[in-house]
Amino acid sequence: MRMGLALLCAMGLLVLFWKASAAEGTPTFDLSEIEKEVEKKPYAFGGFLQAQPTLSGLDRDSPLYRLRFYQDEPGAASEESDVGVRLEGALEYGDLSAFARLDSFLSHDPDGWDGKMTLMEGYLSYKPGPHMALDAGKRVTKWGKGYAWNPVSFVDRPKNPEDPEEALEGYYLLGGDFIRSFDGPLQTLAFTPVILPVYEDINDEFGRTGHVNVAAKLYALLYDTDLDLLFFTGESRTTRWGLDFSRNLLTNLEIHGELAWIQNFQEITFLENGQALFNESDVWSYLLGVRYLTETDLTAIFEYYHNGEGVDPGDLKNLYAYIDQAYDTYQQTGNRSLFGPINSLTKEGFSWRNPLRDYLYLRLSQKEPFDILYFTPAFTTIVSMNDWSFNLIPELNYSPITNLDLRLKGVVPVGGKQTEYGEKQSDWRVEFRLRYFF
Amino acid sequence: MFKIITFLMVLMVAAVPAYAVEGDEILAQVDKNLTPESYEMYRKLVNVEPDGRKKEFILFTVKKGNDKIAGLFISPASDKGRTTLRLGDNMWLYIPNVGKPVRITSLQSVVGGVFNNADIMRLEYTEEYEAVKVEDLGKEYLLHLKAKTRTVAYDRLRMWVDREKMLPTKIECRTEAEMLIKTLYFKQIKDFGGGIVRPAVIETDSPLYKGYRSYMIFAGIKARDIPDEAFTLNFMPRLETLR
Repeated sequence: MRMGLALLCAMGLLVLFWKASAAEGTPTFDLSEIEKEVEKKPYAFGGFLQAQPTLSGLDRDSPLYRLRFYQDEPGAASEESDVGVRLEGALEYGDLSAFARLDSFLSHDPDGWDGKMTLMEGYLSYKPGPHMALDAGKRVTKWGKGYAWNPVSFVDRPKNPEDPEEALEGYYLLGGDFIRSFDGPLQTLAFTPVILPVYEDINDEFGRTGHVNVAAKLYALLYDTDLDLLFFTGESRTTRWGLDFSRNLLTNLEIHGELAWIQNFQEITFLENGQALFNESDVWSYLLGVRYLTETDLTAIFEYYHNGEGVDPGDLKNLYAYIDQAYDTYQQTGNRSLFGPINSLTKEGFSWRNPLRDYLYLRLSQKEPFDILYFTPAFTTIVSMNDWSFNLIPELNYSPITNLDLRLKGVVPVGGKQTEYGEKQSDWRVEFRLRYFF
Repeated sequence: MFKIITFLMVLMVAAVPAYAVEGDEILAQVDKNLTPESYEMYRKLVNVEPDGRKKEFILFTVKKGNDKIAGLFISPASDKGRTTLRLGDNMWLYIPNVGKPVRITSLQSVVGGVFNNADIMRLEYTEEYEAVKVEDLGKEYLLHLKAKTRTVAYDRLRMWVDREKMLPTKIECRTEAEMLIKTLYFKQIKDFGGGIVRPAVIETDSPLYKGYRSYMIFAGIKARDIPDEAFTLNFMPRLETLR
């Protein structure tokens, strides 16, 4: 397996710095050939093949390592590999259309091989014209203006801020989109209602089952500013209201923000004995960000995120202490029952991805440095402001030939004992991703 | 007193150089000859590297009036479904996997290479530029153009216009300090039907990208009236339905 990983990385690096040796002359263009290429068909099929080996240096003293590997410890390093395909298909018949996106991946990790097939999106649409669309099926709504986080994305799964551009899995819903355009300061007004059923066998990961929920978004382009008012209510999650905006202050400077008010949220507190206490209260989550492009094509994205659904650093420390206690008990007695309550925390609204309250995000990406076309190195850091631990994420992106995307990425969490990033299960992680689109 | 003010105002108007007015008229004629005010268009963009390697994109574009333009990438597979929207100075890019449309700037490039977003989502020249000087070169005019606002990608343009066809043959894009950013060469005049006769190929090079060349090949242009609602953020994921 290690050989395979090394071979794949070597192949990737080879392609990364591969240059075609045969220079071609001045191209000639046959316009009739291009006219054939643009001919529209009533169906479309595409996707990509992906291989992604990952090597991680594990922190064997970390509570999160102990939580995941307490039964079968892999040692100081771990290799994981994903190999698979994403398939996309579309069919159009008059005003009706169908779309599906399917992920099929084989994963290898310390627990062995595992195969998984996920319908990421799959829906039918009725589009009688640009002013209206109706959708039914599994889809992502993509609400919010933030890059790394979207506190107003009330009917989507949360993004991974380490990889926010990755496609998300949708929920089954009924949705509409009604658009009007105007002359004057108000250029666009759009209303997007959503009906989200949550039952035992449909969208059960969303929240409490047995209910039909309603959400809506009202969008306006007003005085060159994107504005959204958002709303969600239902029994599966508590009622929440949102507002977001985005605007270019200069041609190369954009600001954006989101504000969410979540009513009757079940705030979690962890006692030293690991017991979780729930206290109902209204909470605010918000985000403020800027995107700036320099004359040298360096894009900087900076965001501050207040996560009203997060916990205090003291509660996180208590949770870590409880995991250590559960681990020690398992080591001494073989009794793993103490891990049970921790594993059910995510169903009660706790997120291991962003457990605390305040975060900073900075991403710097330099397009095509040293005149290397289609090459973009980037550097990202995510800082947990409540304990000042952070993540460092350098990456190299390259597309040496059409439809081939390569990415080499490292992740290094930095922090002291009992901090968020200091106690991640890995001390470092290196992943190489190859995608070939077809 | 009123007579004096009136006299001074008439004097000021009369003092505007005649060549500026003539230059703007030439520019308006160039705009009219290049594209109808509202249209649909298919283009191929080709980036050629110094070693001859090529990367090609096919783009479907619709435009309405003076300030609305939207584009859809048809190929390559890695970019298929991406859409762009421009409303005046506002520009957005929608990437299907990534999520909602994000604001982009005119100087960025959604395709890499020498063409930037302002080149790909170009509005009429008269919308963004005014003529400050016209030179008569015999078979051609040379227009010296200045951006009307600071939000335009290039502060200055020098445009060579074929006197007979009233079509551009070459455009130099420059900074306010007259530094050359890129040069566009208009080639291969073609009759697209519907009275549209214009260059089918725009070739560009740039001293900032030595050895690289990019081409924009026009495969089809026709006048088309499109509803305003097609030029909205909500419609960006559905632009394909206009094809």
